[in-house]
Amino acid sequence: MATETATPTPSSVRPPSAADRIQQLREAYADAPAVGRAALDKVIPELEAAMRLQQRQEPSTAGRIGLRRGKVSELTGIVTLAPGGAKRLRLLLKTLGNNFQGADKVGTLHDMRFVFLDNDTRLLFATAYDGDWDTYIEDFVTKIPDAMDLIFCNLDGWPGINSPKAKDFIAGFQIPADTWYVASPNLTVAETKRLEKIGAAVEEFLDKIQ
Amino acid sequence: MTTVTESVSGNFSTETPTLDLHEIQATVLRPRPAPYFGTHVLLHIDDARAGREFIRRLAPHIASATNWWNAATAWLEVGITYAGLEALGLPKESLQSFPEAFRVGMAARARQLGDDGVNDPKKWDKPFGTGQVHIGVSAFSDSEDKRRRALAVAREQYEGFSGVTVLAMQDFGAQPGDRNSLGYKDGIDQPAIEGSGVEPLPGQGRPLKAGEFILGYPGEAGIPLPMPQPDILGRNSTYAGFRKYQTRVGAFNRFLRANGRTEEERELVAAKLVGRWRSGAPLTLAPDVDNPALGADPKRNNDFDYANDPHGRQIPFGAHIRRMNPRDTELTRLTDVNLHRLIRRGTTYGPPYDPNALAEADDEVPRGAIFLFISAKAMATIEFLQQEWINDGNFIGAGNERDPIIGRQEEGATFTIPKQPVRRRVRGIETFNVLKGGEYFFVPSMSALKWLADLI
Repeated sequence: MATETATPTPSSVRPPSAADRIQQLREAYADAPAVGRAALDKVIPELEAAMRLQQRQEPSTAGRIGLRRGKVSELTGIVTLAPGGAKRLRLLLKTLGNNFQGADKVGTLHDMRFVFLDNDTRLLFATAYDGDWDTYIEDFVTKIPDAMDLIFCNLDGWPGINSPKAKDFIAGFQIPADTWYVASPNLTVAETKRLEKIGAAVEEFLDKIQ
Repeated sequence: MTTVTESVSGNFSTETPTLDLHEIQATVLRPRPAPYFGTHVLLHIDDARAGREFIRRLAPHIASATNWWNAATAWLEVGITYAGLEALGLPKESLQSFPEAFRVGMAARARQLGDDGVNDPKKWDKPFGTGQVHIGVSAFSDSEDKRRRALAVAREQYEGFSGVTVLAMQDFGAQPGDRNSLGYKDGIDQPAIEGSGVEPLPGQGRPLKAGEFILGYPGEAGIPLPMPQPDILGRNSTYAGFRKYQTRVGAFNRFLRANGRTEEERELVAAKLVGRWRSGAPLTLAPDVDNPALGADPKRNNDFDYANDPHGRQIPFGAHIRRMNPRDTELTRLTDVNLHRLIRRGTTYGPPYDPNALAEADDEVPRGAIFLFISAKAMATIEFLQQEWINDGNFIGAGNERDPIIGRQEEGATFTIPKQPVRRRVRGIETFNVLKGGEYFFVPSMSALKWLADLI
């Protein structure tokens, strides 16, 4: 098993003050195009105000790799496609249409993006999901092994969902996001569905009593 | 008197056991007797040679699972931590073959386990989480006299023997009526294991693949789990997560009083939290009033599923037993419930539960339960349970609610009791069981013990 990839957080280094940060920005933007320099001048008061309000809430990590905000985690990766992989994967995704019932079944996937790069030789995959991904990998092995192998066999070097190396393979192509904004970090897919149901029920109730 | 065979295990199967019972430690398969008496001893190895000599002397006294269904006896169990394996001088390549979570130990996995706040390893009792614990020896028996004799046998192997030091000892035993530190009958629901030679009890579910619980056999996914190397060390061995909880009996009783005006109301709330009345009778089979005869009958007290309780109106979704084994409950996440089972050997310590203890001082009385959670992937399973089924409610659509019995509660925690016309939400849930320590142990097979004793 591979060791965990820890994001280096030098605790001894004090984070720069708001004034330092603004100064750093000015220096960095000194060689930016004119529109960028002008824009920076105009937004500085806003930035300063935002920094005063900003709660220093650092994102935590999502299991082995990736960022996590509240209950939601991100997985971003660029991976080399196997020979013929792009063709198969495109066809498979088209067959599924935009109706990923399998993903619904997983119950934790907020979204998934498949972007073919570099003349169909590489794939950019990005998803937001609830919790840690590696916690449930064994469940995928016994519950949806075919779905996993059907998609992942198109990636170069996929060892098969049954392989103990499957986790390492996924962690291996992941690129942790530098920054990630999440509007509702406490809303899981299950919670969102529950709130939708409650919302509809409340409207129905109000309709009846109005 | 009922024997353990009658009271805890199922009927003998017509099939002969396919597991190497003579290699597997008895505790892996043998349930606690009722009543039970025992002692946990935690030891430190000061010197590798002395440590190996101790293992050599102890090994013949460790019970194998041959005749595991006969618990009318006393037996010894032994586990070794990663620090212990290092102290015994295990070769580097062998040490490296153990899973990461085992190598760093339970305290270092606090983030993955959600062991924070009052459960933070920094607040644990010594010597847990310090790296000092190397070997754990436990004596189990069905009488106090036999417990003493079994312990004496263990003691002979380390006493007056330089190089091995006792760090801590803890006696345990069921309270009157076989109850735990919160006054409930416990340990009822255990996974059945394929090839062990005993048919499952009604409600136990199909026997699970042995590889989930013992190394070297195919697991639920059809393949054996990765084993520590060499094979002689891994095969028929397993892991045990040791977790010591202190029960805040005063806080629990205060909570019950705040949420029930009469004894009957309080007992119903207490039953809703667990999913069983204190007698062990499940709410699916005894929804309105306790049925002690049902609770005491192992053929009936676990014989249910949730097909007739899809809304949790009998056993709430968040109840302890429904969280720990959701059976056929529809979950919000794709889950194979058979992958997250543990063999539980719960051992209660301290004075019996007192329903009238209400003071804060009662929370500080050393009383609670030490669990041995046994599985071939104990570390991964305990982490999964802690993250998903104990300290979260998302998998059952219960938001931030946590397990009311063993969860680490946040300020203002609630517990939802589904009910018609509207659910009841109970407030004032506190951390009723505080984690006081924990270690991961490797539970070697008989051959592995000999191999360890003969190192170098």
